Parts: sequence; C-alpha cells; structure tokens
Amino acid sequence: MALAIIGYEASRGQLRDTYDKMRERPLPPVYRPSHGGSPGIITAHSLDPALIPRVFMTSSTLNGAGPLAWAERELVNATTSRLNQCFY
Amino acid sequence: MIADARSVQAGSPRLQALVEIAARVTIEPWTMSRHMLKRWYEAGLSADDVLHAVALSAYFGHLNRIADAVGVPLDYEVRTLPPHADPMEPAWPEAPKSLSGRAALELTSRPATANALNDWRNYMFHRDAPLTRRQRTVIARHVAVWLGDGGISPPDDLTINPLDDALRMLAHEVTLAPWRLSDASFATLREAGFDDAALFDVCATATSAGVFSRIAVAFTALGQGRASSVDAGIGVS
Repeated sequence: MALAIIGYEASRGQLRDTYDKMRERPLPPVYRPSHGGSPGIITAHSLDPALIPRVFMTSSTLNGAGPLAWAERELVNATTSRLNQCFY
Repeated sequence: MIADARSVQAGSPRLQALVEIAARVTIEPWTMSRHMLKRWYEAGLSADDVLHAVALSAYFGHLNRIADAVGVPLDYEVRTLPPHADPMEPAWPEAPKSLSGRAALELTSRPATANALNDWRNYMFHRDAPLTRRQRTVIARHVAVWLGDGGISPPDDLTINPLDDALRMLAHEVTLAPWRLSDASFATLREAGFDDAALFDVCATATSAGVFSRIAVAFTALGQGRASSVDAGIGVS
C-alpha cells in the first residue's frame, strides 16, 4: 500500500551504498531483523537515500546514549508509537 | 504492548513522568509548563533526562509517520499480531495559539543531537527537488502553526494556490492523524503529477518539521506558567 519501498536486493547506486554503510553500524543483536536484510524502518526511507544517514545519525545520539537508561528509552519510544497508533 | 498509553501505570514516579512527557510531546506539547518540569524533577528526572525524553519522543514520532506513509511490513515474527490502527480515532488537536519566549531547555547541552538535527534540518529545507524550497516552507509553516511553534513565521503572508492546499492537507494528516495515511491520502497530489519520491518528500518534510517544532514548543512551554500552578495531569486536557 501507499508509497514504494526499495529493499536491499533491488537497491542500486547511492541507495545500495547507504544500505551497506548502515549495515556496518554497531547494532545490538536484538535490533537485527531475523530476515537478515536491512531493518524495515531504514528501507522505509528508500525514496530519499540521502535522508537516511541524517535520520539515523540522530537516532544514534538519542537511542544509543544516555542519560536515560535503555529500558527508559524504550518506554518513551513505545508510548509514542502506541499513541500514534503505529504498530510496526 | 501498551494498550492505552494515556492511562499507563508505569511503576514508579520516574517512569510515570517519562510516559507523561512522551504523551505530551506526541499529542499536545504546548500544554507543558514550568509546574510540570518541577514535578518531573521531584519524580527523579534531571533537566538532561527531560531533554532526552522530549527529543526522543519527537524523533520517534518521525519514524512512526514514515512507517505509516510507506506501510512498512513487520521485521519480526510475532506471537500475537498487533492491532490495526483505527482510522476513526480523532486527529490530535491543533494548538490554540503559538508559543514564543525563552526556552527552559536548550539542545546545546546535548551537542551531538543538536548537530545531527541541524544537519537533518539543513538537508530537508535547503534543496529544490523533488519539492521546491517554497513548498517546503509552506509545509513547515503550517506544521509550526498546528503545533504552536511561534519561532517560525506563520503562513499568512504566503499566497496559497490549489497545489499548496493539497500539500497542506497531506501535511495535516501526517502531523495530526498519521494512522489514517493510505493511498487515498496521496490521490490529489498524484493527480497533480507527484510520483512516489515527491509524495515521500511531502511526508518527510512534514514529519521533519514536526520533529523540530515539537522539540521547540516543548522546551518553550516548559519555561512558561507559574511553577505552583495546577495542571491537568497526563493526557488530553
């Protein structure tokens, strides 16, 4: 539905390079999807490859650092998602 | 899974405060006040904790909206399928007025986040394709009004044409009712010649503007009101 998603296999050029760089980021195992590809929330940005590093650099500074503890960050994220009715 | 985030009992005053911050950032950031900040400090949060929670919730709202715009599939196998979004759920309210004044918190105390957000903002609003800069400005100014961000000029001095109005309508849904995003949301702009990349740009511009405005409004609102005033507690007041 809605807008196109270009997954890893179909990606070319700047998008493929971006996906490859994103795979090199340190990521806790719990956040690695079992399908082995790029996480859906990254491929969700596939129509604007240059936006991906900007968005996920911001994520690294907020989800990968304190002062809030990991569980507290997850509580904030889950509350936000539930209120927005986003069940991804 | 949180069934109703507005009535969550989070287990400790500190966690309850974090739930309240996320709820207010998401629904009505302009309702924050100096009194709430004092109450959250009493619950065990520091100024840096509050700043972190505000920025995190505003940021995560972007991910929610982009996921909705493209209909991203689940990454993981789950035992219990998540519920479907209810399109009849009322849209979030628009801010009754725009806030301006001295902010209680500043992102400068979190330089890595401030730099990342600045880079994001410069990318989003300083280019001419697929959307023009003017179209980006139209969207950002409307989003600022809906969220009560007095730090950005209102769109009153812009001459709005029918295409601008279609941009405004999609940006409104992205900002205040993202769970309703569907093919129908894009129909008018598709008829006007927008392809998927351009439609994504509209959504990404609106949701990026929302991230920046939610943070700005929350930080400003937390500096306003009397520290002793009574507030309505969590949720829509």
